[in-house]
Amino acid sequence: MSLPVLLVAGLFLPLFPFSMLFNVLYARVRHPVLRGVLLLVWPQIGLAIILMSSASIPPWLPVWALLTSLLYALRALALRELGLWTSFIATSAWALVWIVLSSGASMTQLQWVGLGISAPLLLMAFLVAGLEHRFGAAYLDLYGGLAQTIPRYTTVLVIVILAIIASPLFPTFFAMLSIIIKVFPVRPSMAIGVGVVWLLWSWAGARVLQGLIIGPGHRDVVDLKQASLWLYLLLLAGLIVSGVYGLGGML
Amino acid sequence: MEQLITSIPALPIISAILTQALASRLDRRVAWLSVTMLALTFALTVVILVAHLAGFDSQVVGATHSWGILLNDPLSAIMGVLISGISLIVHIYSVRYMAEEPGYARFFVLLDLMTASLLVMVAAGDLITLLVAWHFIGILLYFLLGYDMRRQSPFRYAFWTFITYRIGDIAMVAAAAILYYAYGSWSLTDIFSGIQNNPNVSGLMGMTAVQTAAVLLALAAFARSAQFFLHNWLPYSMDGPTPVSALMHAGIVNAGGFLINRFAPVFVQAGDVLHGLFIVGLVTAVIGSVLMLTQNDVKKSLGYSTMGQMGFMIMECGVGAFSLAIYHLIAHGLFKGTLFLSAGSVINAARGDDGVPKNDLYKFVVERRPAQQRPPWLLMAAITLIVPASVLFMAHWLVSQDFFQKQGVIVLLFFGWVTGAQLIFSTYRMRAESTGRLLTMVLASFTVVVVGYTLIAHAFELFLYPQAYFRELMHSASSFNVLWFDIMVIVTTVVIVLGWLLTYYSERNGKRVRRQPKRVWLSFYALISREFYIADVYAWLTRVTLRFAESLNVWLRWA
Repeated sequence: MSLPVLLVAGLFLPLFPFSMLFNVLYARVRHPVLRGVLLLVWPQIGLAIILMSSASIPPWLPVWALLTSLLYALRALALRELGLWTSFIATSAWALVWIVLSSGASMTQLQWVGLGISAPLLLMAFLVAGLEHRFGAAYLDLYGGLAQTIPRYTTVLVIVILAIIASPLFPTFFAMLSIIIKVFPVRPSMAIGVGVVWLLWSWAGARVLQGLIIGPGHRDVVDLKQASLWLYLLLLAGLIVSGVYGLGGML
Repeated sequence: MEQLITSIPALPIISAILTQALASRLDRRVAWLSVTMLALTFALTVVILVAHLAGFDSQVVGATHSWGILLNDPLSAIMGVLISGISLIVHIYSVRYMAEEPGYARFFVLLDLMTASLLVMVAAGDLITLLVAWHFIGILLYFLLGYDMRRQSPFRYAFWTFITYRIGDIAMVAAAAILYYAYGSWSLTDIFSGIQNNPNVSGLMGMTAVQTAAVLLALAAFARSAQFFLHNWLPYSMDGPTPVSALMHAGIVNAGGFLINRFAPVFVQAGDVLHGLFIVGLVTAVIGSVLMLTQNDVKKSLGYSTMGQMGFMIMECGVGAFSLAIYHLIAHGLFKGTLFLSAGSVINAARGDDGVPKNDLYKFVVERRPAQQRPPWLLMAAITLIVPASVLFMAHWLVSQDFFQKQGVIVLLFFGWVTGAQLIFSTYRMRAESTGRLLTMVLASFTVVVVGYTLIAHAFELFLYPQAYFRELMHSASSFNVLWFDIMVIVTTVVIVLGWLLTYYSERNGKRVRRQPKRVWLSFYALISREFYIADVYAWLTRVTLRFAESLNVWLRWA
């Protein structure tokens, strides 16, 4: 793969410092639909670029990708604004696609991984918009007590965060599993790095939950409508099915 | 039979779905739906266990995938009865205990899902299914411990549990990766037969694949069973509801022992890893017990008691007594579960009358009044050395004549000896009106416990590991260098003899108060009362990491 192509692909399957472009763009775009499109399309552009160029990945690139992933997972720990948190986790997760790529995965598998990572983040973008609409800001430790105030919304939020931090049976879980399983026997240090990323995501996810859902309910805020709840749950069930029969089926 | 096996984890899942769906219609009565489903699950597990006791062969219930396989063998059968039994008791207890709490139905949904995950874990026939169940347990425990969403503190400590479990989860994924890479299958039975045929497939850092996997599996077991350095979550996770504490201490924390048993074919081929288990277990057992004795908080003390027991369980695995660890985890699960569930009633009753008889034991333990008139020390010293050893020898002779060939058994025998010696030593220091009677009672109970324990452990071994060659393999794998073995025997004997010499010396010289050792003792006490500052170190590391992440965000302008 030639260097210019690599640099362009590194914008979409983010490699630091090119990753900063996506995060600036995501912060500028406020509309949830546009954010959702960005989350879905961005890594697919990177994959399409790679698909068009047939050269092999240099061995130092997965290391760079892992460091990028670690950097953003670590930085996500200290974030309180949920929009930014979503884009940082997206950056951290997409960078790992380079590692899957270097382990000789098929393009179908790569696209599944890309979509599997993006899908729960897309739901998160809508949930963040919902919080901004209700409270004026989607901030940790600012109001809290969502479990008491808006229980339906909290149910969806908890499941979506579990999907993002690669809990079973979501596609992200199988994606992380396939990365570690492919990489560990050949490059164990790399696999340990991926394991640390997973650990940092879990920590970041738990911080979001504790900063939002815990505490006494204090405001009269409108909860999700029953129909919206069912729609979210249906989408999440779809994610689980795609995890089990998509990436899970490829194991 | 296949339907029966798949029904066992399916019933609690169906129960969780129905409980959630019917919660608004049935209100508090929805709990009985959950209890009924659990009672059914328990009945099915009992049927499966009885079938195995009657000679039913192990069976694999497959899925169309390369994963999703359930294994029905004696280990999964016995663990299934334990899990569903304890879970049923916890369910029944929670019906009234949780009645005043908000999110009543949510609690039962989480309990049902936890039970299902535990049942899948013990019956998992492939690595992916095991990993899925293993991860789920950590997540569900996080929400069960943090059940009260109005307060921050339960969630804070639930997070400690969650993150420690995650460390073990990742080690487990790595172990799965190594085993899959080496033996080309997710199925546990395929992997185990592969190991039996070729245990020397190369792994990492000069180790074989089996050794690498065993190290990683041991790490996963350590995180789950609160071994030293990964133990901090356990004593602090008492802020959750009492039924959750009971389920956790009786059924979840034991998963490490189960995991080692499930992967026994890996561990018996892993050589020195078993010795590592023994050392980690020993350190955990000692530290857990020391910390238990120095806590002011009763719940924390119970937490450290569990840690000590888990250490002992891992230690048993380290000496090749795998089935003994299963018996231990069942016994510990039952008594610790009872302790937690009856804690409230005991506290309530003790407010009126503590009910503690003011007898010799009370005077010695609580009032710390040692005896003034004591039996002859030489006689007691001789009893200390001879009686426990004789009882243990007799117990092992009853079950197997060739126990001298099994070093692991002898190591356990020595621990029994030390415990017995300690017991007799304490008896010697007690003020008793009838020393002979007291001593007879102590020796009789010691004999009953040891003989009973040994006989049951032997029965468990025959049930869980019916192949004679595998039992031999377990004992030979855990045997170690004769020099080390002799050193351990000599050190143990010298410690007991020195203890008695010290007693003799202090009796001869009266009660002289020495100031220097007291200061050292107080420093040691300060160290253990702060739990070796391990929690403080973890808290400091957390603060440093978060501050570093904040600084990075500022330097990189939040992009």
